[in-house]
Amino acid sequence: MSSQAAVIAIDGGELRLGGGLLALVRPAINSLEPGGMLALLSRAQSVRQDLPSWCRAQRHEYLGVENVADGVERHLIARGEFSQPRRTGQENSRLKPRDGKLTAADMLATAPLPSHADPATGFAPRGALVEPGGELYPFTVNDRDHVAPPEVAALYDQAVSAQWDATRDIPWSKVEPLPDSLETALAQVMTFLAENELSALYVPSRFIARIHPAYAETAMFLASQLADEARHIDVFLKRARLCGGGLGFCSVTTSRSLLSLMQTDDFTEATFLLSVLGEGTFLDLLSFIERHAPDEPTAELTRRARNDESRHVHFGLAHLRTGLAKDPALYGRLEGAVRRRATALHGADGVPAPLQDALTVLAAGGSEPQAIARGHESYRELLETMHLSRIKRLGHAGFTPEQAERISELHTPNFM
Amino acid sequence: MDNDNTILLGAVAYDPKVVTIWEGIREHFHEQGVPMDFALFSNYERQVEELLKGHIDIAWNTPLAHVRVRQQTKGESLSLAMRDSDRDFRAKIIVRTDAGIKSLKDLEGKTLAVGSSDSTQARILPLYFLRNEGVDLSRVNLLPFDTDLGKHGDTGTSELDVLKALQEGLADAGTVGDLVWVNEQAAGHIDPARIEVLWTTPGFDHCMFDAHPALHSEKVEAFRRALFAMRWDNPKHRRLLELEGLREWLPPREEGYRSLEAALEQH
Repeated sequence: MSSQAAVIAIDGGELRLGGGLLALVRPAINSLEPGGMLALLSRAQSVRQDLPSWCRAQRHEYLGVENVADGVERHLIARGEFSQPRRTGQENSRLKPRDGKLTAADMLATAPLPSHADPATGFAPRGALVEPGGELYPFTVNDRDHVAPPEVAALYDQAVSAQWDATRDIPWSKVEPLPDSLETALAQVMTFLAENELSALYVPSRFIARIHPAYAETAMFLASQLADEARHIDVFLKRARLCGGGLGFCSVTTSRSLLSLMQTDDFTEATFLLSVLGEGTFLDLLSFIERHAPDEPTAELTRRARNDESRHVHFGLAHLRTGLAKDPALYGRLEGAVRRRATALHGADGVPAPLQDALTVLAAGGSEPQAIARGHESYRELLETMHLSRIKRLGHAGFTPEQAERISELHTPNFM
Repeated sequence: MDNDNTILLGAVAYDPKVVTIWEGIREHFHEQGVPMDFALFSNYERQVEELLKGHIDIAWNTPLAHVRVRQQTKGESLSLAMRDSDRDFRAKIIVRTDAGIKSLKDLEGKTLAVGSSDSTQARILPLYFLRNEGVDLSRVNLLPFDTDLGKHGDTGTSELDVLKALQEGLADAGTVGDLVWVNEQAAGHIDPARIEVLWTTPGFDHCMFDAHPALHSEKVEAFRRALFAMRWDNPKHRRLLELEGLREWLPPREEGYRSLEAALEQH
């Protein structure tokens, strides 16, 4: 039903009320506008008695009946004031495939996002007609500008087509034993990555159930993000286990940093901390690991993980730009969130030492002192690159250079 | 009875859901700043007695109980409110399509299944109206289903028994309330090829909140204000309204009980 009508006429033939007539009458009444009228032609005698009673039961107004021809009667019903459906969002238009394809972005264009969503519409899909009086759902993320940037459906489409398989898509058979120092360093780096990606799996999952289904594209994008993180955890741990010495060390600095991320209760703040600052910083870290990877499988898995992460950063930035454009007070709130987190992490002495050492050895390609000097230099460059990229990304999100500088400096030494 | 400001309401516990309904309404009244509590009775006769003694302030009464309260207080009792669904209630005479009943007169010589003897819609008024239409009830073989006596037909069990008797061929015709009839049809429980409606009675009104004649006007007003504040589009209210079988509470009216008064006099 594309629009609501003032008057509808239907032919009920010989159908009786208990014989299927309601399957014609009820949808017709539901498509009437408030106060609209239904004219029902009927050849069934019993309808004269049953229809007024049904109208009474449903609080529609039975207006009367007249003979229109031999054996044919016309009943008139005015739509009652109760159970007037409400539309969840704007009027739908018809969806059309483009080049034989249908994307989530096409869907979004057909059923635009409402600026606010009503928790009483529950899981009704956007664009559906919803009976009023439904229970209030515990959705707390109900404003478009704080949850669903315009790019979200296109990002979801990209995410779906970019999925890959951690079992088959990495040339695992090419992994060969490495010198001990390199194996230990690689296992440490992979352990650190897996630990952080576990947090990236858990943090967004806390918000999915709070996001109003009117903004399902965001929940769907986050679902793809969870699938990405699951795959990353999988490949990082596989690579670590392929090293002879097992997994590496998990530090208290990382533990504190990730807990503070997990304890962030606001969706926009969490997206900012996780996707823009955390995963953004991880892009440089993954580039570094790919560049210094000791073998092709390691380079391939970090490259693939980086592609996925850049999508998450993209979503985070889009989310932030939309929110900041509509709500300038958000700048202060986000800076506040970074400050609070920095306070919580106060006393943490820089990048966890086991990671620092592992990255240095990895960049050195071994433990020979001259190589280590080069590795250490690369590591220092990495920290500088991370800082500059954060400032650039914050600038893209709409922060001033001064704000960007401050926020980047306050960012966790754990990278995520 | 006015020694504190809590309104004490009586209701008959014809089903476990009655507790849910009145706990919910009590909570709503408290939110409205109207202290209310309720007492449950097992039958309407006791509830009417306790109302007349002033042991409860208000009784949520069936039409039969309402008419008795009116008579016993000589019209001094206060009628406070009713459900939308209580207005223009009707009873249906339904028949088996193979029973050869084409008019009310054809009921004579046939078996007519009827509901409980204290059910207004399934027994008292349909028989009264049939008599008014000239049907000689002494020539009709009545098959009564006297289930849940004292509950005045609230459970609807006897109406479902009537429908079952028709479906199973134990009766040629039967009497049921209009809501049971259309709801059972809408739910797909009725085979239209086997059972159909023959006749619909004139309208009559159903339940009523009856207050003791001496109930303080402040309590009367507080009760009405809180009751009428319930809304179908409020999810908390809607659950209660659905359970109680209404969409909105309406002011009282007395003319809908004339036929029942006449039927009881005839008895």
